[in-house]
Amino acid sequence: MDSFFEFFSFSDPNIRYVVIGSLLLTSSSAIVGTFTFLKKKALVGDAVAHAVLPGVCLSFILSGEKSPIILIIGAFLTGWLSLVLIDIITAKSKLKEDTAIGLILSVFFGIGIFMLTIIQKSGNASQTGLDQFLFGKAASLVGFDLIVFAVIAVILIVSVWLFFKELTLLAFDEEFAVTLGLPVRAIELLLTTLTVLAVVVGIQAVGVVLMAAMLITPAAAARFWTHNITTMIWLAAIFGSLSGLAGAYISYIAPSMPTGPWIVVVISTIAFISFFLAPGRGILYRVKTQRRIKKQINDENILKALYHLGEEGKKFYEKRTLQEILSKRKFEPQALKSGLKRLRSDGYLKNENGYWSFTRAGKRKGQRTVKLHRLWELYLTQYLRIAPDHVHDDADTIEHILTPELEARLEKLLNYPKVDPHQSEIPYG
Amino acid sequence: MTNDKTIINQVHHVENPVLEVHDLTVSYDKKPVLWDVDLTLPYGKLIGIVGPNGAGKSTLIKSVMGLTPNSSGYVKLFDQSLREARGKISYVPQRESVDWDFPASVLDVVLMGRYGKLGLFRRPRKADKDIAMDSLRKVGMEAYEKRQISQLSGGQQQRVFLARALAQQADLYFMDEPFAGVDAATEKAIISLLREMSAKGKTVIVVHHDLQSVTQYFDWVILLNMRLVASGPVEKVFTTELLQETYGGKLTLLSDVGDLIRQQQFPNREKTPDSKSG
Ligand SMILES: Nc1ncnc2c1ncn2[C@@H]1O[C@H](COP(=O)(O)OP(=O)(O)O)[C@@H](O)[C@H]1O
Ligand SMILES: [Mg+2]
Repeated sequence: MDSFFEFFSFSDPNIRYVVIGSLLLTSSSAIVGTFTFLKKKALVGDAVAHAVLPGVCLSFILSGEKSPIILIIGAFLTGWLSLVLIDIITAKSKLKEDTAIGLILSVFFGIGIFMLTIIQKSGNASQTGLDQFLFGKAASLVGFDLIVFAVIAVILIVSVWLFFKELTLLAFDEEFAVTLGLPVRAIELLLTTLTVLAVVVGIQAVGVVLMAAMLITPAAAARFWTHNITTMIWLAAIFGSLSGLAGAYISYIAPSMPTGPWIVVVISTIAFISFFLAPGRGILYRVKTQRRIKKQINDENILKALYHLGEEGKKFYEKRTLQEILSKRKFEPQALKSGLKRLRSDGYLKNENGYWSFTRAGKRKGQRTVKLHRLWELYLTQYLRIAPDHVHDDADTIEHILTPELEARLEKLLNYPKVDPHQSEIPYG
Repeated sequence: MTNDKTIINQVHHVENPVLEVHDLTVSYDKKPVLWDVDLTLPYGKLIGIVGPNGAGKSTLIKSVMGLTPNSSGYVKLFDQSLREARGKISYVPQRESVDWDFPASVLDVVLMGRYGKLGLFRRPRKADKDIAMDSLRKVGMEAYEKRQISQLSGGQQQRVFLARALAQQADLYFMDEPFAGVDAATEKAIISLLREMSAKGKTVIVVHHDLQSVTQYFDWVILLNMRLVASGPVEKVFTTELLQETYGGKLTLLSDVGDLIRQQQFPNREKTPDSKSG
């Protein structure tokens, strides 16, 4: 626990550097990754992430040292080369893009691993810290290295800010961007360059193996929470930063531990939480919505059954037994019971000594459901020419969905009909 | 038509055309799908492009907009090259051409129509927003300004695309099936909007599916089926005979030759020193 407070007080300048470094690396790759994600280029990000490894190794072999600038140049070159090759293969051969990506990814990564083995055999890999490129190590970012990577991270963020409008349009509708006369090729090139650079800086924190996750996962998690692209970028950056912070902390308390896996575990956890809990798109919300809809359908069916009972002899406010309701429609006993209870507390039904009857609001609601059912049956037979004996089941679903707006349109279209295809009266309120 | 210059094979040509398509052949993956289209279109008309599914209607307007990679022949708009005319032309793609589950609001999308005029780096300003809102009003979507585009119905998506094009304030519009998925009342509203535009001198070219309404909607019609069947004033070319030629079955011979060209990696046209592309 001591180390926890020590770390998060940020009083030690070394800690401060590591924290700033990890935050910049993870947030900048998350921001660029938002566009990679929206352009549906996640796989491409993966390919680049793996393709930088041979570049890094080659620069090391050739220069004999781990100077960040030389390593970045090497990584940049092979990262770029991989994208160019994917484009050429897709354009000139019969292979589809995903096959080309898989091919390039494994070939480049294989060559990279091969080179890494050679370097490790030569005995000075750990001393140079090159193996950290595999799984990342935020804490190794100090001094000049930190400055270099921080500068690149800032360049990434500023570029996205400058070209925000163009990048967004390209992600949504590239053809339209062409017709506007925008320099689409150049902007594509820019995004590719930014992606490669984001990968190059990101691997400092998470390593080659897990970099693709760092690029895409923050954006994927952010998408669950918002429909606004600006908010989405901010959220992706925040999610990325949180995981970066976690990585830096692990790096601090357990210096021998690689940070990459920890960072990715944290960002994946955030993604999972988003997947389950986010309002609107999250699973939990959807399950809840479905439950609510199921209840609504059940309750409206009860009101409909009571209305049907009332139609016989126009005695809508009669008291009814459970048996009577069940005679109109088969309900699960449990669903009927809980539905009746809900309808009473919502003020649609009254219960006296076990007998159930409509309130005014209840009758109105039951009547509307019946009306929508019959209008829809009529619509299906008249406009879709479906036989009258085939329309009931469809109408049974649609009656619960129609909005007042659609109801009005339907009434007008059918010219306020009096009866449905089965000659039952269509009730108006 | 007083400005008819010549009529060649049912293709009516005009002097001083707003659009000239010269000997255009378009291929996908080496296979030509549109052969030797030659046409000229007059200013200020409402023009329909009609033909069966797969006839190359979308391909024709995409090619004119410079969206197909492989075309030969050339296109002139306002007697200028495509590049010079960009600022004056606008394209409404088929609704299905984009993924509507994108984090953007209706207003965001309509504002994209202003991006060409804005240029790099500059953000939309108040004037652009006013123009975008005005365009939304014209298509009856002003109440949906803040709505997420993923929540729109098909007809509403179509109207948003239309508003985006209006926001471009162009002089020549290309619209790919703007009535697909739109209800009858909206279709009427849109067509009277297009009429209004053409009355103001704008030229509107519309890919259209419903033969019933062609004579009622359009001044000029282009009949297409892998090649140009006819182009001219509606009353002259929208005839039973020409329609039969347009819709009378697939041109299997033409299609087979296209396949052959692809399989043999044949150039669909020999390169001549002066041939320009798209
Ligand atoms: N991107 C594409 N790649 C390959 N073939 C295409 C592509 N787009 C269209 N085609 C083919 O070109 C022909 C014309 O298509 P299109 O212009 O969309 O027809 P229309 O709009 O008249 O229905 C069709 O045979 C279609 O299959
Ligand atoms: Mg089409």
